[in-house]
Amino acid sequence: MSRERDSLVMCGQCGMAHRWRPLVPGSAARCTRCEATLGRGHRLTLPTLLSLTITASVLFLIGLSTDVLSLDMRGVSRATTLPGAISAMWSAGERSVAVLTAITAVIAPALFLGLRLYVLVPLMAGRLPRAFAPCVRLLHQAGRWNMIEVFSIGTLLSLVRLVSLADAMPGPGLLAFGATMILLAAIESAGLKHLWWQVQ
Amino acid sequence: MSDRPLPPSDPGLPPLLGCESCGLVSVDALAGHPDRGRLVQKCSRCGHVLHDRKPMSVQRTWAFVVAAAVLYVPANVLPIMTTVQTLKREEHTLIGGILQLWADGSWGLSVIVFIASIAVPVLKIGVLGLLAWTSRHAPAWRRLERAKLYRLIEAVGHWSMLDVYVVVILAATIRFGPLAGVQVGPGLLAFAAVVVLTLFATYAFDPKLIWDDGDPARADGTTASIATEPRHAGRRA
Repeated sequence: MSRERDSLVMCGQCGMAHRWRPLVPGSAARCTRCEATLGRGHRLTLPTLLSLTITASVLFLIGLSTDVLSLDMRGVSRATTLPGAISAMWSAGERSVAVLTAITAVIAPALFLGLRLYVLVPLMAGRLPRAFAPCVRLLHQAGRWNMIEVFSIGTLLSLVRLVSLADAMPGPGLLAFGATMILLAAIESAGLKHLWWQVQ
Repeated sequence: MSDRPLPPSDPGLPPLLGCESCGLVSVDALAGHPDRGRLVQKCSRCGHVLHDRKPMSVQRTWAFVVAAAVLYVPANVLPIMTTVQTLKREEHTLIGGILQLWADGSWGLSVIVFIASIAVPVLKIGVLGLLAWTSRHAPAWRRLERAKLYRLIEAVGHWSMLDVYVVVILAATIRFGPLAGVQVGPGLLAFAAVVVLTLFATYAFDPKLIWDDGDPARADGTTASIATEPRHAGRRA
């Protein structure tokens, strides 16, 4: 890994320039002026990152395709998947809410994982993927709008509210999204900038 | 944690720009250039546009903050959902839902929903308004605290979507015809707009402005500005 072109690091929060030094795993470098984190020493290796991303992608697909919760009311039962909830919003005429939910809970996390897979697999093989730079920029945006963690907790909250009303049960999708949320946090902590160090 | 800054780096360091996307530090080629507002410098490694400061940051932040504050009124006044239970219709507002949870004895839940739906949006609108105002009118006031406030709202910003998802899941699950049902109310759309607008406002504000001297030209990103003071290198472990 070459860091030669990155011998300086600018604080993204306040613009202060710092000279880069390798960090001991477990330590974090903070800006001397605004105290924002400049970098961390526990960077995940490329193979670890790839395996976490594959696991998270599988869990995310399970979450999308299975019920997040089911409800039994006087013998009639209803189960909801995330795509099902979005299409129910769309057909109820609440299109803005449907689009917003689709972007933040489906499209952004899908891009977050899909683009990482697209970028990481060739990097592992020592090749530079096509359109690497736009992909990394898009990943930055996907990270900003990914709210799968809020969706998981929101579903959990709805479940707690429904329990008083009817026989409500969490579905496998809720567990899958909960696990995805933890993996995404781990992947995100590795950041994006180190991907560039593989390239030179 | 110990604070041990390294000795200042070469005082002759030219004005630098850090790439938001890949982190590469470039020399600010346009520093002092009269056409700075119209010319664009791109990162030599990843092609991302480099800015000394986000363009029109304060104006765009104000626009989103004011729009969010205006929409926060209907978001609270209008019902976010209507429940039908054995032909009895009931409208729920944001605050009504929290009070009901409290009255039902679900104190923990009502506190979570209060933080996500009331405290976080109000905090975001208030903090961004404060940051945008002070960056022009009180630039030297409590810089470190303001920088930390910005990082706080950046970190908690997503969580105000919580109630939107709760209503979406409830409305999609409770579909038992006239027996029981949940419809989305107009307040939810206003509330969702508040959430999105405050996120746009957060991303429009440039936290680097907190450390500037309040020069409006720099905040506009339209006129030349040269970083004259030497930059210091340092690291805090």
